[in-house]
Amino acid sequence: MNRSIILYGLIWLLLGLLAGCSQQPAADSNQISRADGVLRLFNWNNYINPKTLRRFEQQCRCQVTQDYYSDNEELLAKLAAGATGYDLLVPTGNAMDTLIRQGALRPLDKTLLPNLKNINESYLNTAFDPGNQYSVPYATTITLIGFNREKMQELDLPTDSWALIFEPIHLQKIRGRVTVLDSQRELMAAALSYLGYSVNDTDPSHWQQAKELIIRAKPYWAAFNNTSYIRELAVGNLWVAHGYSNDMFQAAQDARNSGRSFMVDFVIPREGATLSLDSMVLHHSGRRPDIAHQFINFMLEGENSAELTNLIGSGNPNRAAKEYIRADISSNPVIFPDTAELARLEMLKELDHKQRRLLSRTWTEVKLR
Amino acid sequence: MQRRNMMKWLISLPPMLFLLVFFAAPSLIMIVTSFRYPGEFSGLAPLSASDIVSGAPSDLYGLTLETYQFFFSDTLYAEIFLKSFAVATASTLICLLLAYPLALLIARSDKRHRNLMILLVILPFASNFLIRIYAWMIILGPESALNHAVNSLLALMGLPPVMLLFSPFAVLVGMVYVHLPFMILPLYTNLEKHDPVLLDAAQDLGANRWQRFWRVTWPQSLPGVFSGTALVFIPVLGMFAVPDILGGTSDILIGNLIKDQFLGTRDWPFGSTLSIMLMLAVIVTAGLAAWLARPRAAASSTST
Amino acid sequence: MKHPNFVLWLMAILVYAFLYIPLIVVVVYSFNDSRLNAEWVGFTLDWYGKLFRNEEMLIAARNSLIIAVSASVLATTLGTMAGLAIHRYRLKVLPILAFTPVAMPEILLGVSLLLFFLQVLNMTLGLVSVIIAHTTFSIGFVAIVVRARLQGMDESIFEAARDLGATPWQTFRLVTLPLIMPAIIAGALMSFTLSIDDFVITFFTKGVGEPILPIQIYTMIKIAVTPEVNAVSTLLMLLTLALVMLATRFDKTILHGR
Repeated sequence: MNRSIILYGLIWLLLGLLAGCSQQPAADSNQISRADGVLRLFNWNNYINPKTLRRFEQQCRCQVTQDYYSDNEELLAKLAAGATGYDLLVPTGNAMDTLIRQGALRPLDKTLLPNLKNINESYLNTAFDPGNQYSVPYATTITLIGFNREKMQELDLPTDSWALIFEPIHLQKIRGRVTVLDSQRELMAAALSYLGYSVNDTDPSHWQQAKELIIRAKPYWAAFNNTSYIRELAVGNLWVAHGYSNDMFQAAQDARNSGRSFMVDFVIPREGATLSLDSMVLHHSGRRPDIAHQFINFMLEGENSAELTNLIGSGNPNRAAKEYIRADISSNPVIFPDTAELARLEMLKELDHKQRRLLSRTWTEVKLR
Repeated sequence: MQRRNMMKWLISLPPMLFLLVFFAAPSLIMIVTSFRYPGEFSGLAPLSASDIVSGAPSDLYGLTLETYQFFFSDTLYAEIFLKSFAVATASTLICLLLAYPLALLIARSDKRHRNLMILLVILPFASNFLIRIYAWMIILGPESALNHAVNSLLALMGLPPVMLLFSPFAVLVGMVYVHLPFMILPLYTNLEKHDPVLLDAAQDLGANRWQRFWRVTWPQSLPGVFSGTALVFIPVLGMFAVPDILGGTSDILIGNLIKDQFLGTRDWPFGSTLSIMLMLAVIVTAGLAAWLARPRAAASSTST
Repeated sequence: MKHPNFVLWLMAILVYAFLYIPLIVVVVYSFNDSRLNAEWVGFTLDWYGKLFRNEEMLIAARNSLIIAVSASVLATTLGTMAGLAIHRYRLKVLPILAFTPVAMPEILLGVSLLLFFLQVLNMTLGLVSVIIAHTTFSIGFVAIVVRARLQGMDESIFEAARDLGATPWQTFRLVTLPLIMPAIIAGALMSFTLSIDDFVITFFTKGVGEPILPIQIYTMIKIAVTPEVNAVSTLLMLLTLALVMLATRFDKTILHGR
């Protein structure tokens, strides 16, 4: 009997020690930060160059911690579910709109942001945040189609149209080799574009058409997927993917670097597509708006901003960054579209709760059928 | 007697209070939430703000039947429930088919080996739940040996290739794998108690092996079958991680739908409504299982 | 039936294979020198090295340990009380409260606690909310194990203790507690394992910014599948393996299911 009590005690002791051990490294690394502050960033996955981050940490003598989301809805849902303590978020326009109307953001102090002058005016003053009271443009991405170039040539498929992911005539040649985004808004936007409507169309009958289009194409798709298409495209398991331009850029780079026999390419469909302008905003729950401003201004410097583009191939609204951006990226018309191209792109607007519920219902039907 | 009463309160009150606050109250809150309006942007509308949904005459203190009307407005959500029931039924049956022979074998093995054999069933079940699902991502993946083997076999038969991962098949495999021990354990506990004398008697009366199983072993094991069924069926009904990780374009179950309402659409009231519907489905199933198990259990105990 | 037939053995072996092959694959690939979990390339320990340099993973492991230790201490205390009370007195409400969370699909507990924490307590989700949630569903498991132990015991020893003039407290400390100790330890280890392992309830009640092991694993699986996941998995398997071995040494009743 006594023996079992001793054993019982020993187990807890052991567990306590274990907890203590694993606590050690964390505590060490936090020591600097406790004194000088921590900037807490809620960001897209892989959306900042680690080099840039380290330089900032040295400069401000602080620590930056990041948490990630992979969809705007996820960001909003997590904030609604009580996620707090973030200094900086990087939402896309429509999500930012919601956050502003919820009163969840802290207005910017522009006197602390002298580098704001670097931003290209066409990205300022969006309908989501007139006068940029709350937001500073960070990067842009376009939702488009990425593909295996050799396979497309071999199968003689058109790559400049949404037809590639929606028309059974094309899809039957690439059955099971296609993925689309697991995002209600983005997939609906693609379907609406293909049908000739605006991506922000909320007419229920148009949604109905889009739904039918999606359901007809679905049997040919391998999966709804938000991230692993990057790898699968680069490896050659996937031939076509609906996804973000920066992800496609990464897949292309990975395929090239690992010496594959094919190239991954990406094109903006001629019917139009969505442009996402991600902006840096301050969340009201953040404890260190001072460091957050410092960070925004730091990221507005051309060189720092260019590092992100060079790493992930995102579009860059920063004029001063141009000279630091690799030539092969800055000359890519998909990453840096010209004015005519830009006119074909639309930014997603936010939906109200009734539309959200209807969209969710539509999405459920898409997934069930 | 007073002392006994004091003791009673001393040991039953703390867990009672804890569970009242953190189990009963949250369940009530969920029920209340299902009668509320969603907020314009997320979460819930404030209780007094009935202006958000103008022209709702039945609006009582910001409560509404809206989500229930929406749920029943067409067959879509009922279909999802049916589908989840189908998946749960299939998983349960497969589990039963796999578990029964093993449980029987263990129960009839030498006493010395039984504990080891049952431990071998529990061990994999003790590894992390997600890891057990993830393992199948590797095994069924497009580059895996199994996938290549299956597809070359299909090619030999002149059939088009299939993808094992991200399919209803993968979901079923995952469900069965994750829940199999829940079927084996209660079956074993039941089968272990059977009296071998009955089988000998049946043999003496000329029953063959098959008859001995159907007439003697199986009826006696029904309570174990029912409790195993409940332990597999109910968790599968609410599972979202397996379809989430292994499922393809059509593998949505109630669990995924509920998760989406909270972590995607931000529609808490509807998410709560779906949860309540799931709870009702579980209660009905559990009630049914208990009702099925009761008379037979009585019958088998009288026969022994 | 001394010699169960051949078919039975064959099926049993197949089921054991079905149970173990996936785990073996995970372990083997954790030593694979390739980013892709597809073909065997060569032996490496890199993924383990990477894991131990992954600060977020270490913090997650620490957080999970904190949660599991706290939740199992709480659940063991409350669950033992509940098991004793349910066994000894004719209670109506407590068994329902304790056993329903065990029988319900986890997602329901997760959702209701999320709503409760945010609406009623208005609290920021974090380690505390996860600890509470884990305690809530573990109480039932501990109560089941403790009650099972008590059911197998002879009531007359308690009467004997009373007859010999022991106070209720003395009876408890000197007779009841030592007798149910194996069940308590098994319950503690069980709730520890349940907590370390739990994904669904953690998913709903966790805060953002405090990584927790199952959630990290989920993110790794969903976003970037590298053999690092296999390495974490292998280590976790070793830990739970040790705990289960311990638990079964203390109490054979958990072998008989719940």
